[in-house]
Amino acid sequence: MSMFADDETRSTFAWLPPDIQVIFDRIRSGLSKFSIEGKIGLFGLSLFVMMALFAPVIAGHPPDAITGDSLERPGAGHILGTDELGMDIWAQICYGARMSLLIGLAVAAVAGFGGGAIGILAAYKGGLADQVLLRVIDVTMALPSLPLLIVISAFMGPSVVNVIVILILFSWARPARIARAQTLSVKTHAYIIAARNYGAGSWYLLRRHIFPEVLPILLVLVIGITSHAIVAEAGLAFLGLGDPTSKSWGMMLNYATSFRSIYFTPYWQWWLIPPLVALIALLLCLAFISRDLERVLDPKLRGRRNTE
Amino acid sequence: MRENRAIISRFLLTLMILLTINFFLPRMMPGDPFSLASSDVEGEDVVVMTEAQRAYYMEYYGLDRPLHEQFIIYLKNLAMGDLGKSISNKMPVSGVILIHLPWTILIVLAATIISTIAGIILGTLSARNRKKGVDRFMMAGLIAFAEIPSFLLGLIMLLIFVVQLRLFPIAGAITPFANYTGILDWMGDVARHAFLPVLTLSLSQLTGVYLLTRNTLITVTTKDYIRTARAKGLGERIVWTRHALRNALLPVVTRTGFMVGALMGGSVLVETVFSYPGLGMTLRSAVIARDYPLIQGILLVIAVSILVCNLAVDLIYRRLDPRVVAQGG
Repeated sequence: MSMFADDETRSTFAWLPPDIQVIFDRIRSGLSKFSIEGKIGLFGLSLFVMMALFAPVIAGHPPDAITGDSLERPGAGHILGTDELGMDIWAQICYGARMSLLIGLAVAAVAGFGGGAIGILAAYKGGLADQVLLRVIDVTMALPSLPLLIVISAFMGPSVVNVIVILILFSWARPARIARAQTLSVKTHAYIIAARNYGAGSWYLLRRHIFPEVLPILLVLVIGITSHAIVAEAGLAFLGLGDPTSKSWGMMLNYATSFRSIYFTPYWQWWLIPPLVALIALLLCLAFISRDLERVLDPKLRGRRNTE
Repeated sequence: MRENRAIISRFLLTLMILLTINFFLPRMMPGDPFSLASSDVEGEDVVVMTEAQRAYYMEYYGLDRPLHEQFIIYLKNLAMGDLGKSISNKMPVSGVILIHLPWTILIVLAATIISTIAGIILGTLSARNRKKGVDRFMMAGLIAFAEIPSFLLGLIMLLIFVVQLRLFPIAGAITPFANYTGILDWMGDVARHAFLPVLTLSLSQLTGVYLLTRNTLITVTTKDYIRTARAKGLGERIVWTRHALRNALLPVVTRTGFMVGALMGGSVLVETVFSYPGLGMTLRSAVIARDYPLIQGILLVIAVSILVCNLAVDLIYRRLDPRVVAQGG
C-alpha cells in the first residue's frame, strides 16, 4: 500500500482507534481518486439506498394493497400505473429496492467478510486446516451454482432467508481463496516478521497488518458478490422461486411475464419496464463502483482479474 | 500425469457431492412421496391410504430400507439412465429430457460458435487499434454491456424485436401445425425461432472472449519473436495472423469449454424469457408443477454437462500447453 504513504497524516477520523482510522482514511482518499464513472455509480447507488430507506415516505401507496383499478396507465394517482391486481408499481419498485439491497448486502457481507476471515485464518495458521479448506474451496467453486440454486430453492421452499442462506453457501469460496492467497504472500513480508520479532501477538498482527492488506481486495469482491446475489435473487424470483410474500423486482418480472398475453397489450410498458430498468441501473452502478475501487485501491489487482 | 489424476479425482468428488445433494434434498423434505402424488394427480386415486397400503408402497419403492442402501440403488438406477418418472408429464424423466435437450444443445452450440468467432474478431480489431478510439469505445461499451445479466438482456431483446418490431416469433422452437415445403423451409423456421435466444446467449459471452483475445494479443505482440518476424520483413498481415493470433488463440479456444458450461446454466433463464422449449423452460414448468423428479433430472443433466466441460478444458489445456504441466506438479 505504498501508494497511500503520501497521504496527509492528520485525519478526520482521529476519534477512532488507529487501525480502523487507517481503513477509513484509505477509503476516503480512494474516493477522491474516483473517476466520473465511479462517481456516477456512487451517486446512483446512494439514490437506490435512499429509495430503500425512505420507501414508506416516497412510495405514496403501500406496495401490497389494492389502491387502484387493475392495470391503470401511469397517471396522477399512480405515477407508474398499477399491476394486474391494482397495486401501485412505483411503490413496488421502492420496496423492491429494499429487497434487492437487503439480499445483496446480507449475502455479500457474510460471504465476503466471513469467507475472507476463514481464508486469512487458514493461511495464517497453515497446516491441516489450510489443506482441508483448500479442498473445500476447490469443490465449492467447481459446483455449478445456478442449477443447484434453482433446485435447492425449489425444495427448501421460497423464503428470503432461504435465498440468502443458499447464496452465502455458494459465494464464500472465492473471497476465502483470494484472502488466503493474499495472506500467504503478506505473511512473508519483512515488516511482518520484524513486528513478530518485536513481540507482536497473533491477534495484533492479524488486525493491524494482515487484515488491512487483504481488505481492499475483499471490498472489491464484496461489491461483486452483491451484484451477483442481486442477479441470482432476481433470476430465482423470475423463475417463480422467489418469496411470494415479498415485493422484489424479480417477483415483479415474474408476475408481469406470467400475465397472459402481456406482450400483446400495452401493459408491459409500465409493468415490465420499471423493474427491468431498476435492476439494470443498480447493477451498472455497482459495476462502475467496483471497477473504480479496483483501480484505486490496488493497481496490482487489475492484472489478476483478466487472467481468471 | 499426477496433475491429471488430481483433476479427475476432484471431478469425481464434485460429482459425488452433486449426486448426494440430489439424493438427499427430497428426503429432507417434510411429508412423503405418496401424499405428494395423491395431491398432485387431479381426480385420480385421492383415496387416503391405510397404514398397510402405505407400508406396502414404502416397501415397493424401497423407501423402508436404510438410507445407504437407497443411495446405492439410486446410483445404480442413474448408471442405467433411469431418472425416475415425471409426475406432470406422466412419462419417464429421461424421455422428457430427451425431447427437450436437442433444442438446448442447438442454441448453446450456436451461441458458443458465434460468440467465439465474434469475440476473436472484435478482440483482434481492438488490439490492433490499441488506445485508439475504436479500442476505447469497444472496451467501455462491451464491459458495461457484460454487467447486464443474460435474462434481462433477453427481456430487452424480446421487447424490442418481438413486441415493437414484430420481427421474430414470440415463443416456441418451430411454428405449430406448419406445413413445410422442404427441409430448407423447416431450417429457416427453426433459425427464426432460435435467433433471439442465440443472440442473447452469444452477447452474454461475447465480452469474455473479446477481453481475453485482446489482452492475450497485446501481451503476445510485445514478445521478441514478433519483433523478429517484423524485422525479417514479413508483412503486417502475416505477422498478425501467423505469429500473433495463432499463439494468442490457445487460451481463447480452451475458454470455449467453460463457455459451454456457463451457457448451459444461463440457458435456463434465457429459454424461459423466450419460451424456448429446451431444458431450461422445462425446468421452469417443472418448478411450477412441483414435479420434483423432473427438476432433479434436469439439474443432473445440466450440472453434469457443466462439470464434464470443465474437466475436458482442464485436461485438454494441459495437452495443448506443455508449460502448464511444467509449472504444475
